[in-house]
Amino acid sequence: MSDAVLPADPGTQAAETRAAAEPVLSARGLVRVYRIAQQRLEVLKGADVDLFAGESVAIMGRSGAGKSTLLHALGLLDRPDEGSLVVRGVESTRLSKPARARLRNKQIGFVFQFYHLIPELSALDNALLPRRIEFGPFAWAGERREAREKARALLAELGLGERMGHRPSQLSGGERQRVAIARALVSEPTLLLCDEPTGNLDERTSGVIADLLFEISEKRDHTLVMVTHDAELARRADRGLQLHEGRLEPLDA
Amino acid sequence: MYRLHLASRYTFQRPVSYLAMVAIGLAVMALIVVLSIMNGFLEETRSFLRGTTADIVVFPHQIQFAYSREALEDAVAEHPDVRGACARLVRPAIFKVYGRAPVLHGNSRDAAQHQVLVLGVDAEAEIAVTDFSEYLANVETPLFRVADPERPFHLPIERIRDLEFKFANAPTVLVSEEMLSGLLLRPGDALNLVTVPDSALQLDGQPVKPASQTFLVAGAYRTGHYNHDQATVYISHKDFVRWTGTQHQVSELYVSVDEGADLDRVRDELDAKLRDIGMVSTVETWEDRHRIWLGAVENERNILLVIFFFFLLLVCTITFSVLTMMVQQKVRDIGILSAMGAPAGGVGGVFATCGIYIATLGGVFGLVAGIALASNINAVKDFIEDTFDIEVFQKEVYAFTEIPVALDHQWNAAIAGATVVGAVLICLLPAFRAARMDPVEALRHE
Repeated sequence: MSDAVLPADPGTQAAETRAAAEPVLSARGLVRVYRIAQQRLEVLKGADVDLFAGESVAIMGRSGAGKSTLLHALGLLDRPDEGSLVVRGVESTRLSKPARARLRNKQIGFVFQFYHLIPELSALDNALLPRRIEFGPFAWAGERREAREKARALLAELGLGERMGHRPSQLSGGERQRVAIARALVSEPTLLLCDEPTGNLDERTSGVIADLLFEISEKRDHTLVMVTHDAELARRADRGLQLHEGRLEPLDA
Repeated sequence: MYRLHLASRYTFQRPVSYLAMVAIGLAVMALIVVLSIMNGFLEETRSFLRGTTADIVVFPHQIQFAYSREALEDAVAEHPDVRGACARLVRPAIFKVYGRAPVLHGNSRDAAQHQVLVLGVDAEAEIAVTDFSEYLANVETPLFRVADPERPFHLPIERIRDLEFKFANAPTVLVSEEMLSGLLLRPGDALNLVTVPDSALQLDGQPVKPASQTFLVAGAYRTGHYNHDQATVYISHKDFVRWTGTQHQVSELYVSVDEGADLDRVRDELDAKLRDIGMVSTVETWEDRHRIWLGAVENERNILLVIFFFFLLLVCTITFSVLTMMVQQKVRDIGILSAMGAPAGGVGGVFATCGIYIATLGGVFGLVAGIALASNINAVKDFIEDTFDIEVFQKEVYAFTEIPVALDHQWNAAIAGATVVGAVLICLLPAFRAARMDPVEALRHE
């Protein structure tokens, strides 16, 4: 295991527990190269990381360092040019595109800075989207009632009990981000990947959303990974990592 | 499930989708209406030509001597496939309404004097061989109908309008309902027919003296074919001979043939037989006689296929544009769907389903609207003409009293089906583009 996968405070009991446990996601030597106007831009130069069940990890780095690229690679949205990425014991880099999509649907939830809700759908339908994708039309008929109940409960838990029928345009920024969190959690994924989840919110709402993310992932034992520029938010994570020169390093306290 | 769900939201919450549906619908509707009118035109024309021309027509070449009507009819009737034959005499004449100035008003067709074709027929034989009895029954105004359809040239004395009965013994004539209405005539009224008699053929140096005869209108007929009805009158065969003094008994012989018989074969056999007995004639089937006219109408209908191809291109272009625009506007949604675990095929499927919705609903709308409009085209025409005081359908030009329509449901279904299939196929291109989009690039799309 490289330095990057070591906990921020290697002396704690939590670190010892993680060292003994099987990671839910293990990335080794991730390389991602972009070719822009005949120029080779190596964004990830061998990033390593192990993520364990129930922990929260903050990833920081200067703008353009490749944080989002790393998050997309960890979330199976982007295929790294080199390296290994094992999710729940499955080597994802060798999977076909449809198989990667299935794995993403079952194991990974995304929360984006700009919410990325579908404007034509209500809050409830947005939250239900991953479940609709999971089931075909015939299976959905059997699962529909239970899935809806679960999504309703989740939205109510996030304080949107009265706003389920509202479209994104009828919701505030904080409410939209709560819908996005409900959507990320509805399939009970192993990993919750957040790309600057409070970056588009005012200070007060940012605090509320951050509280929600930490509370809910702890309560449900999700692995929470956050890409952020917010040092305060990073401090609240179990450990912090910094993306520097295309590699992950422990974040200085 | 998400494909149908999202596609319905994308489609039905965007006004441009409805515009595309309306455009497809209008294209299908227009084509169905035009095709129905063309079919109606062809069907009516064939029906009319068939009814007024009989199956086979014999034109005797009576250059040196007049053929005997009975001999000609007997020779033709001997053919095993011939059901009946009727001799007709044909002569152009000047038609003049009795007691009126020659020109009633500017339209020559409705003027009190104009040229007509006079047919001298034996009513009983004509009824047996052609649709003559239908033409008598088709008359819409009860006052204009003949007193006795079995004896159409009979005019009961109580219908004679001249109070002094000075024409009580005059021969009678059948005039079309259109002409009676246009000239403000009714049964019992008198009119004159003027022609050149056969005696005018004598080379005695004298000027030709026309043969003028007063006829009383016995009643009306109606074929529905405007040109025919405006320029044809019927008189009895006997009165024709008496009026013109002709030595001929037959200008043309109308022959009806058994159902299913091969007309071309019967034509050839009759032609050969008449030559054998010295009654040289031109023998034509009804299709031979009108081949140019029928060919032109059929050709026009076939041109519709070419027009249909361009309609299809138009529909495909509209659908392609709408779907391409939709994919362009939904790039970020494509990234979101991918992030939520939708496979590329599923993402493309959402947009393909949008195309199916637009094309199918547009096609069904066009099919229903097209059939509805074609079925009520004359009511619509009347409404437009009455409301805007304009003439939409000129009877003089199109030769029918109303717009003929024949709905061909196989063709209609083919038009709608081909349009829907074409539009759906073209939708696969933008859907394929959506499916191939890089999810990371899509999420970053501004």
